[in-house]
Amino acid sequence: MQGGTRRVGTMTDVHRRFLQLLMTHGVLEEGDVKRLQKHCYKVHDCNAPVEKLEDFINNINSVLESLYIEIKKGVTEDDGRPIYALVNLATTPISKMASDFAENELDLFRKALELIIDSETGFASSTNILNLVDQLKGKKMRKKEAEHVLQKFVQNKWLIEKEGDFTLHSRAILEMEQYIRETHPEAMKICNICHSLLIQGQSCDTCGIRMHLPCVAKYFQASSEPRCPNCNDYWPHEIPEVFDPEKHREAAISRPSKKPSRSRQH
Amino acid sequence: MLQKPRGRGRPSGQSEREKDWGRGGDCRAARGGVAEEAPSTSRGVGGSSQGARRAEASPAVGPRSQQQLELKVAELVQFLLIKDQKKIPIKRSDILKHVIGDYRDIFPNLLKLAAERLEYVFGYKLVELEPKSNSYILINSLEPVEEDAELRGDQGTPTTGLLMIVLGLIFMKGNTIKETEVWDFLRRLGVFPAKKHLIFGDPKKLITEDFVRQRYLEYRPIPHTDPVDYEFQWGPRTNLETSKMKVLKFVAKVHKQDPKDWPAQYCEALADEEARARPQTVGAAPSVGTAEGRRGKGTG
Repeated sequence: MQGGTRRVGTMTDVHRRFLQLLMTHGVLEEGDVKRLQKHCYKVHDCNAPVEKLEDFINNINSVLESLYIEIKKGVTEDDGRPIYALVNLATTPISKMASDFAENELDLFRKALELIIDSETGFASSTNILNLVDQLKGKKMRKKEAEHVLQKFVQNKWLIEKEGDFTLHSRAILEMEQYIRETHPEAMKICNICHSLLIQGQSCDTCGIRMHLPCVAKYFQASSEPRCPNCNDYWPHEIPEVFDPEKHREAAISRPSKKPSRSRQH
Repeated sequence: MLQKPRGRGRPSGQSEREKDWGRGGDCRAARGGVAEEAPSTSRGVGGSSQGARRAEASPAVGPRSQQQLELKVAELVQFLLIKDQKKIPIKRSDILKHVIGDYRDIFPNLLKLAAERLEYVFGYKLVELEPKSNSYILINSLEPVEEDAELRGDQGTPTTGLLMIVLGLIFMKGNTIKETEVWDFLRRLGVFPAKKHLIFGDPKKLITEDFVRQRYLEYRPIPHTDPVDYEFQWGPRTNLETSKMKVLKFVAKVHKQDPKDWPAQYCEALADEEARARPQTVGAAPSVGTAEGRRGKGTG
């Protein structure tokens, strides 16, 4: 972003409908965003050529800037799928959740977030999270209820569950990076390649630096003998594949219950 | 342009500060750009314990910087967007408490600016639910299209169908209907008050509590009935979001007939259309944003 010099774009009903629908989703994968864009053009203006997604979004962002809102692009931490989320920069991200959740539920989220950030793997087990229900602010919560609340966080795309363990959804990472940097400066981990917040990834056994899986994939894409970018020691993990939208599309068609069964690494 | 200061005629008695802010459109120039530098002027919506990002004491009096004011409008816009998702009218007192804080003296102005941005950027009109009700709702200016629902995928939309059926029923039966009649009708569609429904969950709660709280329906006991029976009417949100003509067309479509096949209702809907087209009488305009705010569309 280049500050005040940038030209502010123009909003039409195409952009407005796009924003409205993106807002109801909170987060969308790139393919869905493109479909959404096409849909909005079709509804309002059949003849206009569909603008390149990047330009389309830049245009909207230039208008959103003065509202401290942004359509942010990110990638999923496990397999690097590109995603887009409408994030707010003016109020704390927890406040965005405040309309959907009660005080004790929000506190449960904070506790889970802390466990996830402090963990070595980027995952917190449901048992560990549920053990904290007695310490929650606000109304008393039973473990059974807490389990239900955790599922609500998953449904609303704040958390992801994998076999009883929880990690942050990419949407939450996009929305909360700044917040986490401020509230957990010590505990948070940074990717050695892209220098963004890292929740799950791989780490060097020797010097301890960490890398996102998609960053690992890109960084070692061409190397036959991967070495740590920091200490040059042998990189001891399996190198994931670079995300390929073409392949992903095929996979999605042949296997509509898309659930990328990646092994968890750290 | 983000927003033209469309002829904001301002009484002359206002402070310098307000005039500055009123120029709105060019305040962007004053902003250094990225949001990280932005001091949050409030603790945001209910996140108080997390708190005050770079809590900067906002001055109780004295001039506020363009940036502070712009941020305040941004917070207000976000607050309204978030609160509206629940479809429960947003109380003025809640806005004051959670967002406005020390900026109370310029609240009307902030609200107006927020309304302008909501409409220009998102296509939502901010309107007061009823005159002097001190609660606000957002009305979608974009006509809903069927594929929206498909793309939206998740929650929310299926209940709109049930709501439209109930609204249609109320209108066709002369604008007031007994609760027992509603259930007699819905039972034929496989919706029972006391039975959990696959899509609607608890239909009794949805209709007599949720739709009522969202102000789509009015629900009250009929006097002198024993055991007490209740009746339904349209709530104020319904009149803002949709119209008699739209509901009649919906009913006609369901029956695969023409709206004119119900002459009495058709005349009533036409009269309603005409009344809506007439300019607002002074004092009755609930709109905060623009003068034509009353013309809501769709059932969001």
